[in-house]
Amino acid sequence: MGNLILNPQYLAGFDIGRFFQDLYMNLGQHFYDAFIVKNRYKYIISGLGNTLLITLFAVMIGIVLGTLVALIRVTHNNDKKKFRFLNALCSIYLTVIRGTPVVVQLLITYYVIYQSADKMVAAVIAFGVNSGAYVAEVIRSGIQSVDKGQIEAGRSLGLNQKTTMIKIVFPQALKNVAPAIFNEFISLLKETSVAGYIGVQDLTKAGDVIRSITYDAYTPLLTVAAVYLLIVMILTRFLTVLERRLSASDIR
Amino acid sequence: MISVKNLEKTFHTSRGDLPVLMGISQTIEKGEKVVIVGPSGSGKSTFLRCLNLLERPTSGEIWFEDEEITNPKCNINLLRQKMGMVFQHFNLFPHLTIMENITLAPTSLKLKTKEEAERSAMQLLERVGLADKAQAYPAQLSGGQKQRIAIVRSLAMEPKVMLFDEPTSALDPEMVGEVLQVMKQLAQEGMTMIVVTHEMGFAREVATRILFMDQGQVLEEAPPQEFFANPKHARLQDFLSKVL
Repeated sequence: MGNLILNPQYLAGFDIGRFFQDLYMNLGQHFYDAFIVKNRYKYIISGLGNTLLITLFAVMIGIVLGTLVALIRVTHNNDKKKFRFLNALCSIYLTVIRGTPVVVQLLITYYVIYQSADKMVAAVIAFGVNSGAYVAEVIRSGIQSVDKGQIEAGRSLGLNQKTTMIKIVFPQALKNVAPAIFNEFISLLKETSVAGYIGVQDLTKAGDVIRSITYDAYTPLLTVAAVYLLIVMILTRFLTVLERRLSASDIR
Repeated sequence: MISVKNLEKTFHTSRGDLPVLMGISQTIEKGEKVVIVGPSGSGKSTFLRCLNLLERPTSGEIWFEDEEITNPKCNINLLRQKMGMVFQHFNLFPHLTIMENITLAPTSLKLKTKEEAERSAMQLLERVGLADKAQAYPAQLSGGQKQRIAIVRSLAMEPKVMLFDEPTSALDPEMVGEVLQVMKQLAQEGMTMIVVTHEMGFAREVATRILFMDQGQVLEEAPPQEFFANPKHARLQDFLSKVL
């Protein structure tokens, strides 16, 4: 079947009508070659599995790390004497992570820091640490968006700082930032597509492997794109429902 | 009950220091209803907020029931349990039902069991005529209802003093009455109250003493009769001519 786009007859005089005609005629064959022969669809399935696995665990690390960093920064902001050292550490973390490309972070994690570690573990840690920086800023803004009067009301009732934060501020902050955090995870899912750089067989890599075997870029890569799109659409749909549920107590 | 000695408060802003309270000395006895009036920016609210240390005084002493609360060793949380505060913007907790708003502090501080707290909350709600709103959320209430709930929330801690920071200033005019009614009832029951307000009618009717503040100082203090009929300070005469 050859490669449609690099076929000399199209390079000589590109005929868009012919292109789509051939494409349509050959679609079945392309699909068969890319996914059915030698069970190549299994690349896609296991790739998708890895992508979801990396995203899921990275999200968990991101939430824990992000919450921790946000708490340290907010506490330090309220009382400059507290956590001075930890706050400086957090600032460096945020600056470095948000100031460098995630691919570079991934390569450094795998080749410099965890030289002998499992590729998947390296990817999870790299994306988790990366996501934590963004989640931290989202959560911090959420905590600071809660009206100061709420803290004053809690404290004036005799609740201490900790109880006021846990029972009054956090529930409201979480509600405010839940959609933003969910959005962060949707973008994380797409960002994990660079995991192939350290040889992780994720969804993108799976498509690329099939391309290199079949010399057909078109079918596997568009399929990969479609799979990402489908998952993101499902997640976005879920996000809409979540937002509606969260705003339930605002209804008069 | 409360005595304030030479209280000063200066806010440190990016545009320099802003002195708000410039030496206030006052003694407030048990059962008194002190109303503080004055133009905006005179330091009324700051004075009130210093009493339960929502603002840290720059210098001076505050004593509450023979304890110096401005002393860093004083347990500020214990102190605040005995001083209720009602805010201009209600500050109800929007994520909790009315019942949860009222019972949060007594149960979190383990002063009452959940059942006890809910029982006394219902009694308080009945007193202000809002028992049917126990399971509602703050967003479903009118301003006047929210403020009455805020008063109930403070009362649930069984405080010895109630501080009111312009409790009716954020309300629609027709809702002011219902909140003042609750406050009057509270005054009749003998609660010690310190009220910052612009409601001169309330001051005249309920106060045992009115303080007039301007530019961080108490310029005049008198019982309501004398305060309105015979103001001595020129600044107060000017103020009263504008608000009455």
